[in-house]
Amino acid sequence: MIESVISSLGISGFAVSMIALLVKIAIVFGVVMLHVAYATYFERKVIGHVQLRLGPMTVGPHGLLQPIADGIKSFFKEDIIPSGADRHVFKIAPVISVFAALGCLAVVPFFDGFVLANINIGLLYIFAMSSLSAYGIVMAGWSSNSKYSFLGGLRSTAQVISYEVALGLSLVGVMIMSESLNLTQIVEAQQKYWHGMFIIPQFLGAFVFMIAAFAETNRAPFDLPEAESELVAGFFVEYSGMRFALFYMAEYIGMLVMSSISVLCFAGGWTVPPFVINAFPSLAAVPGIVWFMLKIYFHVFVYYWIRSTLPRFRYDHLMALGWKVLIPLALLNIVITALIKYFC
Amino acid sequence: MGLKKIIKKVFMLEILKGMALTFRALFKRPVTRQYPRHKREPFGGFRGLHALVRRPDGDAVCVGCGLCAAVCPSKCIKIHTSIGPDHKKVVNRYEVEVLRCLYCALCVEACPYKAVVLTDIYEYSGFTREEFYMTKDKLLANWDRFADSRKKSYFANFWRPLLSDFKSGKDQARLLDVSRAEKHKDIYIEAGK
Repeated sequence: MIESVISSLGISGFAVSMIALLVKIAIVFGVVMLHVAYATYFERKVIGHVQLRLGPMTVGPHGLLQPIADGIKSFFKEDIIPSGADRHVFKIAPVISVFAALGCLAVVPFFDGFVLANINIGLLYIFAMSSLSAYGIVMAGWSSNSKYSFLGGLRSTAQVISYEVALGLSLVGVMIMSESLNLTQIVEAQQKYWHGMFIIPQFLGAFVFMIAAFAETNRAPFDLPEAESELVAGFFVEYSGMRFALFYMAEYIGMLVMSSISVLCFAGGWTVPPFVINAFPSLAAVPGIVWFMLKIYFHVFVYYWIRSTLPRFRYDHLMALGWKVLIPLALLNIVITALIKYFC
Repeated sequence: MGLKKIIKKVFMLEILKGMALTFRALFKRPVTRQYPRHKREPFGGFRGLHALVRRPDGDAVCVGCGLCAAVCPSKCIKIHTSIGPDHKKVVNRYEVEVLRCLYCALCVEACPYKAVVLTDIYEYSGFTREEFYMTKDKLLANWDRFADSRKKSYFANFWRPLLSDFKSGKDQARLLDVSRAEKHKDIYIEAGK
């Protein structure tokens, strides 16, 4: 669609796809940044109401302009770099975090045909990027030259490395069933089944993925790297202003990416299960992005819901859960899926 | 481990119960009071900002007896008096260091004229210590601020000058409450002897 508009302007050849890609990137970037801003608002509202509070109410009607005010505030805040910090590493750490988080979005298909890079190793690429984001955290923790940051960074390293394994293994079942690493093909593979969602045959994988995703994005109940009550803010204690906001952005984009992988791999992405379409044929007219958004925001809501319910894990429990429960479960899931795939 | 316990662990029943609880809380009425827009009416007897009661003719009711200063546990009341032209006691300065006050209201209880009150004003803040050093004028202004926020009938208690209750005997100590004196007549008589 974008291509046809651009070629009608008299541009042709390679430039068309190049400009179309840039336009798409701009759209995705804008939408995601808006999502990030309002995800903070959504979170504060959800947690507020769970605790019988109201959440932000002052800026704009029902506090709707609060994220904008927060953005402007953090943009104009003084940028403080501690005198003991390693300046270059300190400056580059938040950029790596955001870069890695945003990079994941390149392979996420938002609806049929709308994907920035339709590559064959989509899932692998996302794993790579999400491990890369740990570097940002570790570097921030190290370069701040503060004990809290350092502890946060250390915890994050250990946590991300151990849960990366479970995260990767939990999706192997999906890879086996869809015979692809391309996210678009994974979604299409789910349409071949009556249920249209891998969460039903892959419930074990989905369970492991869900928990590992929480740990991977450093969200409660696995928010040990930034444990407010022990480490003040964890790895980004010493950050202020826009750099601080960048870490926040990275965290919320990370949540969005993890939700979208979960939706794409287990909940049928932008599609609706075929049996629902058969029951209500009029639903087929609803654009795919609507379903995708609904599923994504359900996931994001679950993130907030769990954060407002569960207390933080103890560190050894976290490691025990990761290595002794989730990885064996994921391996079991792979074995079962492979056996069924081989014999049926 | 019994079967029940295993089922509980595998399906995370405890966590699901907690999640159900928080989900239900999501739809309950929030208890937040949005402060600057919805102010809470203080309860009766709330002890807030100090004030000196103003007489209908404009001056303070206070006669400068110094009982409040004497009873104050944090010693934050300072009174300076002098002898006026018609040999009356004049209260030159009546000062309360509000930041040191602990709002026990013993001064209010001690005052035989109900000349000092703790109003229900709780919104007062400032940037300097001087702002909280209440001089006599400030205390009278506090009273006016308090009086403006209330109905006239509320002040009948203060404006009917309790002075009128005190039909002073020749050299008797004045009694605060006539009915109380009536009730404990024998004790007071006993004390009078």
